[in-house]
Amino acid sequence: MLTRAWTWTADPGLKVTVTNPTDADLVESCLAGQRDAFDILVERHQRHVYQLCYRFVGNHEDASDLAQDVFIRAYRGLKNFKGQASLGTWLYRIGVNVCLNKVAARTPKPESLEPLLLRHDQRVASPEESAAEALLRGERAVQVRAAIAKLPKKQRATLILRVYHELPHEEIAGILGSSVGAVKANFFHALNNLKKRLRDAGTAGTGTERR
Amino acid sequence: MTSHLSGSEFVDLAEGTLTPARAGHIEACAACREQVETLRSVLRDTSAVEVPDPSPLFWEHFSSRVREEVAAAPRPRRSGWDWLGIRGLAPLGAVVAVVVAVGSGALLIHDARTGQIEPQRAQATMPAPAATDPDRGFLDPGLDSDNAEVWAMLTAVAEDVTIEDAHAVGMSVHPGAIDRAVQGMKPAELNELGRLLQNELKRSTD
Repeated sequence: MLTRAWTWTADPGLKVTVTNPTDADLVESCLAGQRDAFDILVERHQRHVYQLCYRFVGNHEDASDLAQDVFIRAYRGLKNFKGQASLGTWLYRIGVNVCLNKVAARTPKPESLEPLLLRHDQRVASPEESAAEALLRGERAVQVRAAIAKLPKKQRATLILRVYHELPHEEIAGILGSSVGAVKANFFHALNNLKKRLRDAGTAGTGTERR
Repeated sequence: MTSHLSGSEFVDLAEGTLTPARAGHIEACAACREQVETLRSVLRDTSAVEVPDPSPLFWEHFSSRVREEVAAAPRPRRSGWDWLGIRGLAPLGAVVAVVVAVGSGALLIHDARTGQIEPQRAQATMPAPAATDPDRGFLDPGLDSDNAEVWAMLTAVAEDVTIEDAHAVGMSVHPGAIDRAVQGMKPAELNELGRLLQNELKRSTD
């Protein structure tokens, strides 16, 4: 979480300073007309939102555009944020909707190997991983992303939120508007479908390292 | 042997949250054991895939782009008071204004017997109206017995609030505007007003 003091001038000329304001503080400030409070919220959540979008679309350009769209929608709809869930969860909900609408409208761009090679270059310094291993891992990542991109929408959203954002099933249920049981069932089917697709691609069960 | 694991139970088992009683099933069932091992393996492969982190410069550009869009967007506002027809007022100010309107007794009262709307002097100690009581003289159809409590609270609160209180929070009360807003409320809206008043009163006494 980003920590910094947040100061604004309240009427009539009263300076108010909050050290490490909560998301709720910042939302209230935004609603009171302090637009720059939203900057802090963006700084806090941009990485997670971007990563969520990237998981859906698999490329930087689209992920960047979608993440921006998520924040703009969030700002416009800030008055509807009730604070029942965390702001992060609320942003995830917007993000999932934005991404699902976007990916439904078009086929995701295939990932090229060039960024993999660039990323590989950045990792060569790691003594634990040889160049060949890094390249293999990169190729496997492309295959896994491609397999995820072919999952049905709800399965894909469930898998992304659970595996990569480590949200509890209950929270995912809230985001997707379904029951916890349905989330677990979707997760189970998503993993099974991935297994089939990765097996076809020759990747399943390789037992690569855990994060 | 117990029944095979369901999809949800496989997920719980793979994540280590399945009850021991059910988890024990895989000791005796090779099919379920194999299934859960496969799921764990897919989970490992999937979770190992990282998102390439953009450069720090990207985040600066990203923040700037969002800031520009936000600057061009209309300012978001709480919409809770929109239905009162007094947009743009601080909630406390609006609460005080309504209370003052009630307390000053300047409400326009609809008399069902004459079918006319006329200003009447409301008493701060006025008992809660009941739509079923024809002798009350206050026969707003929107104020049924469900709203009696809200009305009682409104009038009670009004005893302690003056028009100066409204001015103190930056309000100017236009004669009749708030009155009409209150009079035009539906039962659900009046209930909501009551809830907001209670919250404000609680907050101010905390």
